[in-house]
Amino acid sequence: MSILKKINLKEKFSLSREFFNELVFVKRSLHAFGASLLLSFFIVQISSPSFSVTSTLREADVSSPTSMDMGSAATALFGVSVNADKSGPTDEFRSAMNSYFLAQRMWNKGWGSKIFGSGDMNEEYFNKIPKRHTISDRVGAFISGYDLYDYFSAYDLQGYIQSTIAVRQRIGETNVLLSTQTESKDFAIEFMNAVILETDQYTKERLILKSNEIISATYSQLAVSKNSMIAAALATTINSEYFKIANLENDLPHLLDVIDPPHSSEYPIAPKVSAIFFSSAIIFLFASILFSFIQKNKEDLW
Amino acid sequence: MVNEYFSLHTYGGTLEYYLFELANFSALAFFAVFLYKLNYINSNSLLAWLAIFFAPLIFNYFLFSPFLFGDQFRYAAEVMYQKSSGSSLDFLSASGVVEPAIQLTAKMLGVIPLPNYMTVTSLAFANMFLLFVIFLWFKRFFRNENEVLLYFLIPSLILYASLSLRDSLITMLSILFIINLIRDRYFFAAVLLYPLFILKIQMFAFLSLYLIARLFFRAHKNYGLFIFFVSGMMIGGFIMEEQILAVLNLYRLAFAAENFVAFDGSISYLAYNVYGGGLAEALKLSSLGDAFFKAILALPIFFIMPLPWNWSNIFYPLQSFESWLLIYLYVRLAMKQNLYKNSEFILLTFILLIGSSIYALLLANEGTFVRYRFSLFYPFLLGAFYLSSSHRFLKK
Repeated sequence: MSILKKINLKEKFSLSREFFNELVFVKRSLHAFGASLLLSFFIVQISSPSFSVTSTLREADVSSPTSMDMGSAATALFGVSVNADKSGPTDEFRSAMNSYFLAQRMWNKGWGSKIFGSGDMNEEYFNKIPKRHTISDRVGAFISGYDLYDYFSAYDLQGYIQSTIAVRQRIGETNVLLSTQTESKDFAIEFMNAVILETDQYTKERLILKSNEIISATYSQLAVSKNSMIAAALATTINSEYFKIANLENDLPHLLDVIDPPHSSEYPIAPKVSAIFFSSAIIFLFASILFSFIQKNKEDLW
Repeated sequence: MVNEYFSLHTYGGTLEYYLFELANFSALAFFAVFLYKLNYINSNSLLAWLAIFFAPLIFNYFLFSPFLFGDQFRYAAEVMYQKSSGSSLDFLSASGVVEPAIQLTAKMLGVIPLPNYMTVTSLAFANMFLLFVIFLWFKRFFRNENEVLLYFLIPSLILYASLSLRDSLITMLSILFIINLIRDRYFFAAVLLYPLFILKIQMFAFLSLYLIARLFFRAHKNYGLFIFFVSGMMIGGFIMEEQILAVLNLYRLAFAAENFVAFDGSISYLAYNVYGGGLAEALKLSSLGDAFFKAILALPIFFIMPLPWNWSNIFYPLQSFESWLLIYLYVRLAMKQNLYKNSEFILLTFILLIGSSIYALLLANEGTFVRYRFSLFYPFLLGAFYLSSSHRFLKK
């Protein structure tokens, strides 16, 4: 009872009623609400819908640990992963996808032209797509005395891939999700598909090249080796590298299998029409309340 | 499979971004206007809080890129994922374990009834709301509301509350803890230690020490009991010397490694792994005496940093000025009505010095420790402010 007396509920209730009657339930609030509807319609009209394009992949040839090794024990005891530096197919895929060499291959296939230019697949054209720089960039370059690039290159495409396509994998799962947000969903689907296939192909070619080099070096060692045990070990290495090449020289995916090919969300993820209308209504309603409030409390406030 | 993984759409600096965040601002401002009409706050507080509520709109995207405090995206993504799916995104720390601090921050800030949680800045408005509630609660203990308001206009307080980080939450929980402890509300204070344990284990350790000093040693009652507590702490320290040194050495090395810059330009743990071989031995504290001596030497630097030769962005001179201001305010409160003779104040200051000394021992990255210092110093400053006011009434 004493708390209620201290709060003075009756007085507070009457003040609240006065506040709402004076500032909220007034004609101006209705006008503000109407204006908010207009603004919301305008914002929704000028916003371009942005879609989420995703593709799900699965790590190929994943071997699960059979016993609790030292790394898992340390993880369990100290919360620190001792084997954290070991990269799996996802890490390999991610680093290959973000590499310059992949961008270079994609560039040679004309993707640079589709992204930065008109889409003309003529090599002479897409190697000379002019690059625009802002005035501040030009002024900065002039003052500091460095040159800006005149044309787009594979490095720009590399930056584009890195900044637009996210590769995510949840802890303990073998599924990997590639995602991007785009206003042009058809192009994004086509591009993501190309990136997935090209990354896998690039990884395979790199590994074939590596295996060929190992075979060639091992053959030269084998030619000079006189110890039968060493010769046997070298022969095993050669066999294993030939086996790797045989595994890689096919059309099957190497690092990641495609489970869901790139596809777009049915509805755009932005703009959120309801949130725009709701936020706009709150802003206008508050502006109307604030206006009335300042009008009525000018003297008290200043 | 499209929605199996969550992806944060940030609306970075677009018209929609400002629309969503202005709605959040409007809701908080409406709350402040309403409280003014109910005579809970005065006109100065109303105007000041309307300005403070606007701060999140000024910082992210407008004054600086939100990537300057990149962790904001993790908190924002976590809260949005929790709201949309009911489960956590399971962010991992550098050591590869799930970070419960992000989950708890998202849970605590996510329950604030804001119009929308659409962008990276939305959580900042949740921080602002909580800070305003703390102000309303704290000012009840004072007759002069304007004096209290001045303590809520500290730039770092506004900056951290204007970001979607957990620092502001830690500061607010620590304020609640300290004031409740001073008011002998032990149970409520002890409950607050749980979120602090998850959000910032260092603060949990310092404040637990304060709780022990008050509850078991009654060190706030008189000088004798205070000396008994200090003696007990020293004996405990010497018994546990090995364990204390192991923890201090581990954190000293971890902070130094995180801040490691190699001659080839590589940084952090990567550079430390390659070039930081001799660092562990150089940083090792051999005894508690050694730790005490090194802490005394580093303490002044900790209190006044960032030092002018380390200023690397616009915030550093401001934070440097602010560090002097905070020290001045604390000393001024101590001198006011001889508060420095009050045993409660002595205990409060002692705990602050213990916390500061430990941070001074770990001192590495300027930006990190300026942040740590503020979340430690500010709650103690408000504690001293509260004491100065209650001391004044007691005297009367």
